[in-house]
Amino acid sequence: MITHTEVDGIPALVAPTTGPMHAGLVFRVGLADEPLARRGITHLIEHLALFSFGVADYHYNGSTGVEHTFFHMQGAEADIVAFLNGVCAGLHDLPMHRLATEKEILRTEENGRGESAADALALWRHGARDHGMPGYPEWGLTGLTPDDLRAWTARYFNRRNAALWIAGPGVPAGLQLDLPEGTRRPAPTPSSALPVRPAYFAGGSNVVAWDAVVDRGPSTAVFADVLKRSLFRSLRQESGLSYHVHTEYHPRAGGRALLTAVADALPEKQGAVLGGFVDVLAAARLGQIDEAEVATVAGQHREELTRAEETGVRLPGQVFDLLDGRPVRNLDEVLAELDTVTRDSVAAVAAAACADGLLMTAGRSEADWAGYTAAPTGSERTVDGTAYPALGEPGIRLVAGETGVSLAGGDSVATVLFAECSAVLQWPDGARRFVGHDAVHVHVEPTLFPSGPALVAALDARTHPDLRVPMPARGPDRIPRPPAPKPAERPPSAAERMVTGAIRRIRGR
Amino acid sequence: MLPAMLPRQSNLDPAAAYPKITDLRAALDAGDWPACRELLDASEQAERTYLITAVSDEKGLEDFLRGVLRGDPGDGTAGALLGRHLTEAAWDIRTRVRAEHVSREQFVAFRAGLAEAERVLVDAAARSPHDPAVWTARLVTARGLRLGLPEIRRRYGRLAEIDPHHLPGQQQVLQSLCTKWYGDAALTYEFAKEAAAAAPAGAPNPVLLAEAYLEHSDEVTDLDRVRAELREAAMRSVWHPDFRRTHGWVRTMSTFAMAFSLLNDQEAASSLFRALGKLGSRWPWEYLGDPAATIEKFRARAGGDT
Repeated sequence: MITHTEVDGIPALVAPTTGPMHAGLVFRVGLADEPLARRGITHLIEHLALFSFGVADYHYNGSTGVEHTFFHMQGAEADIVAFLNGVCAGLHDLPMHRLATEKEILRTEENGRGESAADALALWRHGARDHGMPGYPEWGLTGLTPDDLRAWTARYFNRRNAALWIAGPGVPAGLQLDLPEGTRRPAPTPSSALPVRPAYFAGGSNVVAWDAVVDRGPSTAVFADVLKRSLFRSLRQESGLSYHVHTEYHPRAGGRALLTAVADALPEKQGAVLGGFVDVLAAARLGQIDEAEVATVAGQHREELTRAEETGVRLPGQVFDLLDGRPVRNLDEVLAELDTVTRDSVAAVAAAACADGLLMTAGRSEADWAGYTAAPTGSERTVDGTAYPALGEPGIRLVAGETGVSLAGGDSVATVLFAECSAVLQWPDGARRFVGHDAVHVHVEPTLFPSGPALVAALDARTHPDLRVPMPARGPDRIPRPPAPKPAERPPSAAERMVTGAIRRIRGR
Repeated sequence: MLPAMLPRQSNLDPAAAYPKITDLRAALDAGDWPACRELLDASEQAERTYLITAVSDEKGLEDFLRGVLRGDPGDGTAGALLGRHLTEAAWDIRTRVRAEHVSREQFVAFRAGLAEAERVLVDAAARSPHDPAVWTARLVTARGLRLGLPEIRRRYGRLAEIDPHHLPGQQQVLQSLCTKWYGDAALTYEFAKEAAAAAPAGAPNPVLLAEAYLEHSDEVTDLDRVRAELREAAMRSVWHPDFRRTHGWVRTMSTFAMAFSLLNDQEAASSLFRALGKLGSRWPWEYLGDPAATIEKFRARAGGDT
């Protein structure tokens, strides 16, 4: 039985648990709130707030998600009180002397993490804004100042933008959540970088993946597992093409949910994994869903929910709902809703999901043959402005105009409009990378253009200072040189590589 | 009288030996889909796929079959035939010449046509996952769309689960395994031998060995061994007492005849020409030029002066 209460002005949900006591303090802020030029700020604050706990001998953690950030602890009542009080104190007075070190720790953490399929899907679906942020590195770290962090904590880590859960007998004595006043910050509305769906892009890795955004609800959650079972049967059991197959259901603010499906592929089996994946999705789209399977999955969800209720595992999701302004529902209400799930309701979700789908192929495979439209990999037009041919590569032109910048070569154009720019990466040697809202970027190497430094200065003058992102210095070997006179057969020149890099919307560090 | 009916010229029309094709074409011409279904549903699985392939070049099928599918999206037979028809249309744009003689515009239109066919077949496979004609048609689109051998093998795996000896599908796999597409002679032979050995006695499937030889005849050096292998294949197939003169039998025998002719096994070739009488097949003779004239030339060389 859940009790709604309030602790120091912060809404709280308290529920008994059969397991050890645990509690969490959640803020309605995450990667989706970060401008690309400040990417990493929430994670940095989370780390700084936890710094005072060092390597304490108990189970605590912080987590920065797409729409929520939380601090969580499991243990004795006194330890939980010390932890949550300490987090609030840490947020109130971030240990700024740790700034440089925590930035380094985050860079190391990021380098070790690698890019996931879900991150790539987020970038291609949403572009270089809000829900596309998981696809980008924490580029903001280098330039973040103590003032930036204070402004961010004041805006998001306040008592009106927080909620608390406690799985245990009640609010522990001595709990004092000293957070400043503020306002609730609703999650941003997701942007779209996909003019047509279903769409696909070549992911370049040994993974086939897919996502879709649909209405949240038990039928959607059931469909996620029905899809996993179909993919597992088809790709692993029947044909042995994949080893890891999984799907996920992520509720979002605004009553929507993100569905993700991922299957790995041996390099020599990529085409077959894509073929099998496409067939499984087609069957789902056309409502080929087994009634008995829906019943089995719904039964599993019923058991999981009941068990989660006993151990307090439902609480974090309920607190997310609270922060998103959604009703907090008790177990009976949730189970009653689960009872309304039918084969037809799951088929309806499947049809909607497939219509919205974004497919990531393995390697460089295409999926147009399966009815998926290629997601844009470049821009439709070049800006009006002055064209500068690249040194030694007259076919490659940088066009600098009043409204934006383009790089064109062959059939490809990449354009970033200054009014639709998410960030401008700035290297000390003068290189610039303009990243557009649609995730198309234009990379400018001043050494490859006549009067390069003057050109870069002119472009800098047109970009908003808030978008500038200082990047660490590059070694001399990483700075391209203008090409020597070229023999007939040669590898791509630095200018050609610059174009390729600009046209393909891959994340670059 | 048609030139094909003149004495000493084989009749190359597959319907000559197998009137069901004529019946099916008549039903299609009349727009009588229930009659088409009745005829096809009563056929054996491989025969049904054979018939669907045989009539897929009929003109004006697209609108008719799309109408059928609008009425019953789950009609796998209509899906397979429409997919096959669109594939034929795409191949007509590409033409059957080697890739270096195909223009860029032709390739773009070819790919677009195949993608159109494949989309019909994706849906047909989703709704009728156990239809061998659909999976056979998808083996053709997979090859043209360059989806690669792993995907072709996956599709064949789905087909073989339904019918492990589905010759029309096996012939499509064999084409993909050839040097001219994604494989080589060794892969082609390996597949042909396995499929031939697995088929029941008297079945047409050992013809795959003749096809493997014809596709790679310029790479074969050990002629005696190949001849012996092919004679053994014929013993299990066209020379077996259980060999049936049903759908595709003319092409099967005609293919063996051409392989024996090229291997200079005149005795074997002659016996097959005699069995064929006035009947023949365009494929695979068209590899050597005008099929009717080529057949006559090799028939004369074999001494099969019937």
